[in-house]
Amino acid sequence: MSIKDKVPVTILTGFLGSGKTTLLNRILSEEHGKRIAVIENEYGEVGIDQGLVINADEEVFEMSNGCICCTVRGDLIRVLGNLMKRRDKFDYVLVETTGLADPGPVAQTFFMDEEISSEFTLDGIVTLVDAAHIDQQLGRSDESSEQVAFADVLVLNKTDLVSDDALDTLESRLRDMNRMTRIIRAENAKVPIETVLNLSAFDLDQILKRRPTFLEPEYPFEWTGVYDLDPGKYELMLEEGPDPEMSLVALVNQGESEEELKDGAESSVRLYAENANTLEPGNTVPYGEHVNLKLENKGNKSFILNIEKPTKIGLFTQHTAEEFNLKVIKSDENKEIPFNTERFWQAEHEHDDEVGSIAIERFGDVDPEKLNTWMGRLLSEKGVDIFRTKGFISYSGNPRRIVFQGVHMLFTAQPDKEWGNEPRRNQLVFIGRNLNEKEMQEGFDKCLI
Amino acid sequence: MPDIEPFSPRGMFHEGWTAEVSDYAIACGWALKGKQFIVGDVAGGIFAFEGDTGKIIWKKENTHSGGLLAMAIHPEGEIFATSGQDGNVQICSCHEGKVIKTLDLGKGWVEHLKWSNDGLFLAIATSKKVYVFNEIGEEKWISEDHPSTVSAITWANKNELATACYGRVTFFDIVNNKTNQKLEWQGSLVSMELSPDGDIVACGSQDNSVHFWRRSTGMDAEMTGYPGKPSHLSFDDSGKLLATSGSERITVWSFVGNGPEGTMPGELCHHTEPISSLAFSNKGMLVASGSRDGSVVASFLKNDGNGDPVGAAFAGDLVGAISWRPDDCALAAVNAKGVVNVWKFKVRTNLFSKGFK
Repeated sequence: MSIKDKVPVTILTGFLGSGKTTLLNRILSEEHGKRIAVIENEYGEVGIDQGLVINADEEVFEMSNGCICCTVRGDLIRVLGNLMKRRDKFDYVLVETTGLADPGPVAQTFFMDEEISSEFTLDGIVTLVDAAHIDQQLGRSDESSEQVAFADVLVLNKTDLVSDDALDTLESRLRDMNRMTRIIRAENAKVPIETVLNLSAFDLDQILKRRPTFLEPEYPFEWTGVYDLDPGKYELMLEEGPDPEMSLVALVNQGESEEELKDGAESSVRLYAENANTLEPGNTVPYGEHVNLKLENKGNKSFILNIEKPTKIGLFTQHTAEEFNLKVIKSDENKEIPFNTERFWQAEHEHDDEVGSIAIERFGDVDPEKLNTWMGRLLSEKGVDIFRTKGFISYSGNPRRIVFQGVHMLFTAQPDKEWGNEPRRNQLVFIGRNLNEKEMQEGFDKCLI
Repeated sequence: MPDIEPFSPRGMFHEGWTAEVSDYAIACGWALKGKQFIVGDVAGGIFAFEGDTGKIIWKKENTHSGGLLAMAIHPEGEIFATSGQDGNVQICSCHEGKVIKTLDLGKGWVEHLKWSNDGLFLAIATSKKVYVFNEIGEEKWISEDHPSTVSAITWANKNELATACYGRVTFFDIVNNKTNQKLEWQGSLVSMELSPDGDIVACGSQDNSVHFWRRSTGMDAEMTGYPGKPSHLSFDDSGKLLATSGSERITVWSFVGNGPEGTMPGELCHHTEPISSLAFSNKGMLVASGSRDGSVVASFLKNDGNGDPVGAAFAGDLVGAISWRPDDCALAAVNAKGVVNVWKFKVRTNLFSKGFK
């Protein structure tokens, strides 16, 4: 049976009160032409208004060998085993887990049990988080961070109860924990159906077709403002902010389209990699250079921007303009010039949470044998703490790139498209608990040829 | 649909009759001493056919809302029980299908039904509980909650019931309401069979192994290396051989001598897809197997568990269940498309063990 004939299954996780049942009812009530069977582990107060709903208690079955990747969900095997005899009644399955469920065994059930994997395919894991409470939940429970770590899609729900600032901070915290996930903000679980169903998140071909890279790029800056400036002298004015200094790159002739902004961002990334010149208040900001603004003094601090002919200046700042109340003032008129365009970037952060993502990106080829040895050892030693793995690899001598993914110690790799003229490179993402980034990068580097 | 080409009955299988039920057939069995054949489909349709001709005698649909999960025919063959997702058990007459008694056991799925050999008791498993009723539907015993959903039940002797769930097999004396024995082992037990004398307990486990216990000695053993979970187990009537399968291959353990520990099992490789039903004949060392590929094969086994096929037939689609007629002169197979096939099985004599072509 080919993958097309298999029934897709979406797993819906999230803490009690995160809005799973609301989302479930939303999915069921929408016109999508699918007949959905629901397996419900959590019997909430809100009922589900649909025919094919099966209640089952979560039963996590560990095996005698103690291997965590063999742990499966007995209730799902039982219920799905029966459902597969009623294929004419439904063409999609949604599994709603309890708030405390560990997503690992749920996902593993679709790989470990032959009977289930021959009829069903895991489409994706959707995790709902309650924007108002997730910060505390992440601190208190492992389940909560594991649900975030396993998610293909994170629905940041109840955004109406939280300020935009707090949402930005939360989003970047969640992003740090799981760099493969797609984050969707929602009020009252209102999300487009296609963002949670039919993701083919475990079908590597599909994912790579839609998203050529698993990684959302991270930038060393959070904000860009583009200012349309006539010739003259300008002051870049900043107040106190969270840090006593801030890095900045100013570019001339900065366009405002998304493409031009990204080009500017790329140039800035390169400039940010160079050492910064420190500027004291009153100094002139050079263009196309990495500078570090000293902001220790109280009150407004000004730096000078000199414009010789009309141009658009792009400011790529380490923190958002808001954090330092950054303004551009035309000196002779003492008039504030507003930005034409602004753009926020996904910024690099310190990784505070135990659960986090590690990304390894390297150009070149790897030695398949060395990689197998390294990966085998890594997964056998750290498999318990590595929740999910995705990536692609360039094997020396192989014209096609190798794509792979894993859940804990379960691991599959398959050849994908040919490299052609594309530069050979490797990209690995690991999501897990207490992973040692340096050690893993060094381990991988030893596999490079 | 199966990938193999349809074929006519071969070897000891001969054309019999075919019929259809309304949905995926999941359970079947012979009643009235082989004069009647009853089939249950997943949607809750129950159909009774004349054993010789396949002529429909009676049928009823939607017996269990949500669908049928199990059916068990009383050893005397006059009544049968069905259960389903509606949490009910119905005890019915085989003659006209009429419901004699409905037992409402709550909300959980009722997944397993077993009559005791003497027919005095009906054991019923639903979620974590097991009930025992008598023939006329009076409650005789209820278990405490098991640690997980009960995955198999079987009678060890007339008053003793064995239950399997995650991590253990328990033997209950249901007349004196006491626990006779607990066999513990960390693993998800998905199937259970007892040898006819009740001494050997065999369980298929989710981790692709079969676990044995000998109740008399307390010895246990684990047979590993199955490619899939051994959901299908069957003992022959003498208790010498245990056929097991979790893939397209059948592994037969022989308890003759000191086996099966330390011995090589017999292997039967007749199917292209995993086994979906497995049953020894009522008497003798014939094992019939039905596969997801639609093929049905009968094999004649030797004491060491090895053997040769003596007949094969094509059921058209995934074999949902198979059943030997009480005299072993016919074998029935029902499939995922709701097709019923009954083949005559030529009476065998001792000569057949010398080889059949």
